[in-house]
Amino acid sequence: MAETQIVNVSKAFTIRHNKAGSLKSKVIGFFYKRYREQKETLWALKDVSFNISSGEAFGLVGRNGSGKSTLLKVIAGIYPPTRGKVRLPDGARMGTMIELGVGFHPELTGKENIFLGASIHGMSRKETEAIYKDVVDFSELDDFMDTAVKNYSSGMHARLGFALAVNLNPDLLLVDEVLAVGDEPFQRKCKKEIDSFRAQGKTIIFVSHSAEDVKNICDRACVLDHGRLMFVGKPAEAIGQYHQLLAY
Amino acid sequence: MRSLFRYRELIRNLVLKDLKLKYRDSVLGFLWSLANPLLLILVYSFVFGHILRGGPPNFAYFLMVGILPWNFFAQSLMMSTGSILDNGNLIRKVALPMEVFPIATVLFNLAQYVFALIVFFPMAVLFFKVSPALSWIAFLPVLALHVLFTLGLCLIVSTATVFYRDVRHFTEIFLALLFWLTPIIYDIKAVSPSLRTVLYMNPFSYFILAYQDVLYHSIFSSLDRLITVTSLALLSLVSGYTLFVVCKARFSEEA
Repeated sequence: MAETQIVNVSKAFTIRHNKAGSLKSKVIGFFYKRYREQKETLWALKDVSFNISSGEAFGLVGRNGSGKSTLLKVIAGIYPPTRGKVRLPDGARMGTMIELGVGFHPELTGKENIFLGASIHGMSRKETEAIYKDVVDFSELDDFMDTAVKNYSSGMHARLGFALAVNLNPDLLLVDEVLAVGDEPFQRKCKKEIDSFRAQGKTIIFVSHSAEDVKNICDRACVLDHGRLMFVGKPAEAIGQYHQLLAY
Repeated sequence: MRSLFRYRELIRNLVLKDLKLKYRDSVLGFLWSLANPLLLILVYSFVFGHILRGGPPNFAYFLMVGILPWNFFAQSLMMSTGSILDNGNLIRKVALPMEVFPIATVLFNLAQYVFALIVFFPMAVLFFKVSPALSWIAFLPVLALHVLFTLGLCLIVSTATVFYRDVRHFTEIFLALLFWLTPIIYDIKAVSPSLRTVLYMNPFSYFILAYQDVLYHSIFSSLDRLITVTSLALLSLVSGYTLFVVCKARFSEEA
């Protein structure tokens, strides 16, 4: 099976209004209705189904709160779906870029953070040593490897995070808006890297608000609105649909 | 379980990170981890041995045998209240086997415990005239069972804190009480029979008694005690792991 299948996926979150965590608020809520905890179920995804073939760059488009990031996290295995399931290609290594440099510790040096960050994604020490040089070269932070990450600028931090993420060498890459950070040369470099990922026949699932990026990078795209799948198809048409939604 | 093995490098890195960060840039460095047990042993042996003039013979050594494992146990439990919660940012962004966090907490405290043992035991032999005994080899199985028992409880505590933040405060107070309900700074034989029944209702007492058997009394624990301690360790580990696995799907939303 060389396809990522998203089959009837729904995801519900429980929203608690007046969250009654303490005994005090529970007692008050018992007597006064308006202070009582109210639970509301929010369906962030409703019955979403589509397939992504291997080697495809697939865009997720939609307004804020439409369920794009939730869908990405369900595919990544961070949130279990309330209903439905996600089937991944057999033995695919998944890489997530939901936040760059996630898990970096500010007090540790750049080098220590590369080893920590790689192990967060399940890499062994040997595997990390093999990619270490590539990560440093890509990030262009050779002189700062023994400096604590807390002393990095935010751009340097993002560069190190991205350099690590691309060198983890995943078969399936999930990207959530991370290209919005960093200066222009860095963004160009990121896009070049994503292109080379595509050239290697790897799958990319990509969340973006930028119509430009979706048209340039993606083979296909889908539009989500209020957790429902509105459209799957050509990126240009998806952007058109998305703009129609915005017009309302 | 298989994925946990794949993530052994992460466990190692988490433990090393905590060890490095705890004493980085301090002048005395890791020697600080010895200060707390050393002070406790000095204070208790002075108060109970010299002011109250009680306590079993070679009291400072007796205290050492109880306080070092207690510190490991109490600090592991206290730290594990944050094992999942404090890593919420990571759990919400990367899919990984979340067991690594409580396991790393226990191993971090185990490393400090073993380090304290390496320093304190030669000192005991040199200064307290303790002579090494054959029964000391039974220390390793006791330690192993104690670690498994602690890990099981840490899995429970780290899970419970995600859903009820009160667990952190409860654990702190409960541990303060448990310290006095465990025969750490007094000999269980010196306690009246009715009170002794209470101490025997505390599961942790059996581990301290086993440590005292093999290290202080220089005897091998009875088969009875071995069975009790093994059952407690397995019970704790199985129930802790089961609870953790049942609840962990909700961690990324609640933590």
